[in-house]
Amino acid sequence: MAKDRSNGMDYTAPLRRLIVTVLVLVLAATFLIWRIDSPRVERFRAQVTDQIVPNFDWAMAPVTGTINLLRDLQSYRQLAEQNQELRRELRKMQAWKEAALQLEQENARLLDLNNVRLDPRLTYITGVVLADSGSPFRQSVLLNVGARDGLVEGWATMDGLGLVGRISGVAQNTARVLLVTDASSRVPAFIQPSGQKAMVAGDNSAAPPIDFLESPDLVRPGDRVVTSGDGGVFPAGLLIGQVAASPDGRLRVRLAADYERLEFLRVLRHYGTPPVSDTTGVLTPEGPRLLVQEDATSD
Amino acid sequence: MTDIGPSRIWARRVSFAALVLLVIFFNLLPLQTLPRSWAGPDLLMAFAFAWVVRRPEFVPPLLLGGLFLLADLLLQRPPGLWALLMLLACERLRGQSRSLRDATLTTEFLGVGSMIILVSLGYRFFLALFMLDLPPLGLALSQLGMTLVFYPLTVFLTHALLGVRKATPGDYDSKGQAL
Repeated sequence: MAKDRSNGMDYTAPLRRLIVTVLVLVLAATFLIWRIDSPRVERFRAQVTDQIVPNFDWAMAPVTGTINLLRDLQSYRQLAEQNQELRRELRKMQAWKEAALQLEQENARLLDLNNVRLDPRLTYITGVVLADSGSPFRQSVLLNVGARDGLVEGWATMDGLGLVGRISGVAQNTARVLLVTDASSRVPAFIQPSGQKAMVAGDNSAAPPIDFLESPDLVRPGDRVVTSGDGGVFPAGLLIGQVAASPDGRLRVRLAADYERLEFLRVLRHYGTPPVSDTTGVLTPEGPRLLVQEDATSD
Repeated sequence: MTDIGPSRIWARRVSFAALVLLVIFFNLLPLQTLPRSWAGPDLLMAFAFAWVVRRPEFVPPLLLGGLFLLADLLLQRPPGLWALLMLLACERLRGQSRSLRDATLTTEFLGVGSMIILVSLGYRFFLALFMLDLPPLGLALSQLGMTLVFYPLTVFLTHALLGVRKATPGDYDSKGQAL
């Protein structure tokens, strides 16, 4: 028996060693190729995700729903408290609503006076969140809209209130949204009302810090942070959140989007801000020289 | 005396693949989109080690490699690196599985625990070597600790619910040879 076993070992062990060696080489090659030519492998990853994750969808929706329901049940215990709080907030909101309505009417009147047409190209596609990144080290979600719906990488994604992230990785039926909180996310921003330019740099925390701020003295907690549109990836003027000072003295952004529950996201169609390349043509059609000549002749 | 025919081995292989897919499925559920300051256990790793130590023939290298690469792709890790380290660790444990078979849970835990730590360290080392962004240390450490803590639980699940037990002297393989 012992002899038989050693024979069996002799026959399978080299084969297994060969398989393991080949596998190790294949995996190492995959990693190296990804390191060298990341976009191609990422596209492959998006396609694999596109093939697999939508198949889970029938199970994902009910399971997510059930777990969320159970979580809600826990919060039902504090229902009376919440109710009181909501009533108080509602009273406050009614005042705001009145103000908003008046402003809306005024805005409409002014737009009408100016004969303004809002940019028809800035429309949106709404998608449902299928899955998240699956690991706590990366902050991204998967949407059920993709190249089929005309999505393009880099488009801004919002929930009803604020910026959530940008599209990174589009497959036929799905698209990945890199959230503003991810460590590799950088969004050029603009702080109102001081008009400071800055960068909202994600660092895997719920409130991303503000980087490259020229004069932090001009910025106060509570100021609005909106996208500046620099770099041409995002349209300008999308709300990101409000400035908040963290205990260590760093300025951070309290995001306006509701990150607790990302369910439906809007992807804004954006075909890039045209760059101003003809700097002289901005002043007069033929440039500033003509202006100077005109001045000379009129004198 | 339990006779393990090829069909049973294949059934177990398929059930391991299903288990891995189930773990990935629960990882992908969009329950928590707010960044967390702690990380849960890497159950994939714990289950793979528990199975390899118990019944290496249920988890052949090809199956492990394929599933780990799939997990890398779906869970947004650099594809190949984690899978490579896990495959090497599993093969090392496979080599030790004969001696670990008679070991107590404590000895097994020491062997597997050191492997979990080695894989995590190796992963960070190679990420740094290839000048990639390192995951936050706090998160990585919490994941390592949680995986170590949860390993006995996965052993219990594997043993009690999935019925994957260490081979005993009475077990024979498909050719009637003692394992």
